[in-house]
Amino acid sequence: MKRAKNSVFISNELKTFLESGISAVVGTRDVDLVPEITRVWGLQVSKDRKSISLCAPLATSRKTLDNLADSGEITVCCCLPTSYKTVQLKGRCIQKTDPSRADLAAVERHREAFGRMNERIGFPRQRTETLWRSELESSAVLVKLRFAPEQIFDQTPGPDAGSPL
Amino acid sequence: MSAPSPLTVPLESIASCFEGIIPSTICSCSMGGTPNLTYLSIVHVLDNLHVGLSYQFFNKTRTNILENPRAQVVVVSPETSRQYRLDLRYVRTETEGPSFERMKIRLDAVASQSGMSRVFKLRGVDIFEVLDCGPISSEMHSEVARKTDYLQELDSFTERLAACGDLDSLLSTALETLASFFECPYSFVMFPDEERKHLYTGASRGFEPSGVGSEVVIGKGLLGVVAERHAAVRTTDWTREMILARAVRAAIENLGEKTLLEREIPLPGLPNVRSQLILPLVVGENLQGVLCLQDQFPGRFLATEERVLQIAARHLAVAISNIRAASPPSHKVALRNKRALSKRCSVVKHYKSDDSIFIDDAYLIKGIPGRLLWKLLQAFVGTGRMAFTNKEIRLDADLRLPDIKDNLETRLILLRRRLDERCEFVRLVHAGRGQLQLEVGRRLTLEEIA
Repeated sequence: MKRAKNSVFISNELKTFLESGISAVVGTRDVDLVPEITRVWGLQVSKDRKSISLCAPLATSRKTLDNLADSGEITVCCCLPTSYKTVQLKGRCIQKTDPSRADLAAVERHREAFGRMNERIGFPRQRTETLWRSELESSAVLVKLRFAPEQIFDQTPGPDAGSPL
Repeated sequence: MSAPSPLTVPLESIASCFEGIIPSTICSCSMGGTPNLTYLSIVHVLDNLHVGLSYQFFNKTRTNILENPRAQVVVVSPETSRQYRLDLRYVRTETEGPSFERMKIRLDAVASQSGMSRVFKLRGVDIFEVLDCGPISSEMHSEVARKTDYLQELDSFTERLAACGDLDSLLSTALETLASFFECPYSFVMFPDEERKHLYTGASRGFEPSGVGSEVVIGKGLLGVVAERHAAVRTTDWTREMILARAVRAAIENLGEKTLLEREIPLPGLPNVRSQLILPLVVGENLQGVLCLQDQFPGRFLATEERVLQIAARHLAVAISNIRAASPPSHKVALRNKRALSKRCSVVKHYKSDDSIFIDDAYLIKGIPGRLLWKLLQAFVGTGRMAFTNKEIRLDADLRLPDIKDNLETRLILLRRRLDERCEFVRLVHAGRGQLQLEVGRRLTLEEIA
């Protein structure tokens, strides 16, 4: 993995948001600049507030992992279903490992919070559970990625979407 | 026979993913190699190899696709929660044509309802070729097959409507059949007023209170835009639409540009509405009315239901037009007073300024139907007369009816239903073609107020 250039500091407010019941996806690209999207779970902000870890199901993220091994360019987009508040973080993937117990616990917390959040807008828990299970049906293996955000954007829909935070 | 789809998963087999019930994500990539992600409220299928995305604001996604046409979209099935990746190549942006017009009308309607007409503007439709579509999980599953054959339901609908001889029974039959055969328990029909400025509810089913008499402005809100543009509008999850609209509203307020915002228009009908299908009732260029179907569950009306119910709505429109065109026969006025009056007495007030009618100080109705009722009640109190004909009402100069004879029937239906709903001792009964009977169960005192 490549080194981050200038990782930015993550505020308390943003940490709370990233560790809540958001919908989170990762964007990467291959050498031909073809993009790839993968849903990820269990975001955790590091103690020094300069990196974020997350877990991706191995079965759904093989191309994403190849792309990250090649360029390290990673974008993460997080959206709260109940308000459409959206934040986009662009940076570099700096580590790929197996998840620890604490990481798997964070995934469980996220899965629970995501289900609760969607229930509030009428999307049944059973449906979010199906979404989760469908990603793990051929392999239950999760991969932990750590990335250092270099740019953070407010991506909430509207004329000002994309402005730096 | 159509050629087999070259895609791993044909788009038509996952049609419900493209209804905006669950948001999608798009990833583009700059020439510098930085990916960019955005959530999309809806991805539109244009044909079996193309999708369209609305272009409203110039943003990073747009910058990226103009320099690197490759993109990927992930859509989610609302029925199975399965996800699908669509590998895309940007082809062009359309600023006119059928796809653009269809998306524009829908966006304009939602924007008007949410008070965002000056904010949500469709600049274009970005057209993408779908290079492949595949499931995100490695397992292949078939999606839930929805009902597509509605021949029997349409047969019953048209048969029942053909048996109706007057507008009142036509509307009641239409809404009843939509409920029992098409599982649409919440429906209402609105009619344009004489000035073609407002729609008013003439018939409804499934609502408590009925909402009969409620009005919206033509050209404003979902219903008003459907009436103005003569085009159907469908929303698959109104809760999400409003969350999105309010997020944009808040962003605009933060930018200090409140002048761009208009008042959010309350949506008539179900308080917890999620799905809506609003269909214009048009014959030629003439708007007969608007049929609105609502449901409290998201995704109730998808593309297939829209097409089927559009057929039903067109048939209803022609039936309304035919009944209105048939001139009612003239009948001699009879003096009939079969119903015994109770000893109780009620006061009916008529405010001349707006022709509003209050019975025992409770508002009943205003405007032309108010004027009409006042005239009938005056005849009843003065002479005991209870039977009237549409023709004499049309010809009565005192009533100052606008010169649009089509509307008398719908005004009478509105008046009849308001009385049924709000007054237990005055009824206006349909007494055969072109005839009305006023039934009054109490002594009335009439007061005219300037």
